Amino acid sequence: MKQYIRRKISLISFLFIPIVYFWDPNWLAFLGVQPYWPLFWLLPWSMIYGSIDGFIIGLSLGLILDSISPDSSFSQIPGLVLCGIWFGKLNISSNVFVGHFRYGLFCTIASFLCGSLYFFQILIKYFSDQSIFMYLPSIKNIFAQVFITGLLAPLLCSSLFRLFQKSKKG
Amino acid sequence: MVDIRRISTNRWWHKKKNWGVFIFIFFLFVVRISKGSLYKDFYYLISRPFWPGQFQREVLSKSVEQEFLIRLQQLEKDNKRLREILSLKRLSDSERISASVISRKTGSFWKQIILNKGSQDGVEVGSFVVGPGGLLGRIINTSLFTSSVQLLTSPESKVGVWVERIQMHGLLVGLGNNYPKAIFYNKNIDIKVGDLVLSSPASTLLPPNIPIGIIQSIEGELKGTKTASVLLLAKPQAIDWVQIVKVEL
Repeated sequence: MKQYIRRKISLISFLFIPIVYFWDPNWLAFLGVQPYWPLFWLLPWSMIYGSIDGFIIGLSLGLILDSISPDSSFSQIPGLVLCGIWFGKLNISSNVFVGHFRYGLFCTIASFLCGSLYFFQILIKYFSDQSIFMYLPSIKNIFAQVFITGLLAPLLCSSLFRLFQKSKKG
Repeated sequence: MVDIRRISTNRWWHKKKNWGVFIFIFFLFVVRISKGSLYKDFYYLISRPFWPGQFQREVLSKSVEQEFLIRLQQLEKDNKRLREILSLKRLSDSERISASVISRKTGSFWKQIILNKGSQDGVEVGSFVVGPGGLLGRIINTSLFTSSVQLLTSPESKVGVWVERIQMHGLLVGLGNNYPKAIFYNKNIDIKVGDLVLSSPASTLLPPNIPIGIIQSIEGELKGTKTASVLLLAKPQAIDWVQIVKVEL
């Protein structure tokens, strides 16, 4: 059983992403904005398993997060799918130190991409109404999220990466 | 004989991997159809030891008394007008359910809180939620043990409001930050910083005259409208206890 859990730890941990998403502690917020949690899991997973698995798992994550999010008109799927494919194409750096910085950089760019895609959906829906008022708060939200996600990524992604690599080797 | 055996062992249902994929797709399907209810109920169970304590309940009850006084005054004025004839929505007499906040997403674009009372406690979609100070949002989704509240700060939230002092109606629109915008479709109105914003008597979603916030700043005119930034009286990022109130037609 222990062996089985160790081998399947990456999939088991996938099921807990929504729980972390609900938890979303205030003390980890920057300007009131919390990190974009799914990226911390998606980056190491896709780097190990490749683009196709990254696409599938990005889609699955998007479906689950859309289901538990309140705004039914907007979707997180496009951002997560693109990130899953992109992360799958990245090489694994042999230098541990450089690797840490790479996680931070990739998560920063990905967080910006996901935030922007979500914002564009809001803009398109409310283009004629009050979209002009949304620019500043939304840009603040995106950049605060980019910062806090990039800051935590080296720590969380490298731990998860090691965990997933071990589980893949069995 | 050997061939038949080879074919029969190569059927798709004999492969463990296929069953894994099938179960995973089924899992995604269930999560999607139930709108994450399973996850919310699971989170309800595991977060139970960490729910907020009794102190917040006392703070809440004091604030609710204050809120009652404000609302009573507003209702008396309102009754003098044509309320009895119009009567779009009214509060139900006794249906107030106390609930604690077990999950809070007030940062970024997602503005929701999850409460520890669900459909088994009688919570219904469309009920509104008040915290210490005033209105927080509306219930948009319920599971067996939990309910999700769309906050007034959400970009999808639009609520009819009015400024009682000048008796002008407007629309309160969430922008994704903590300061929703009140849009008044008349550029000549005389709103002032500090004016109290209440739910509109003409609203089809909410009962009238629930305190919402105060005008924080006035931002000028745009396309025949006047807009103002509203400071909410109830702070979703800090509240641990709320009350769910049913709305009756």
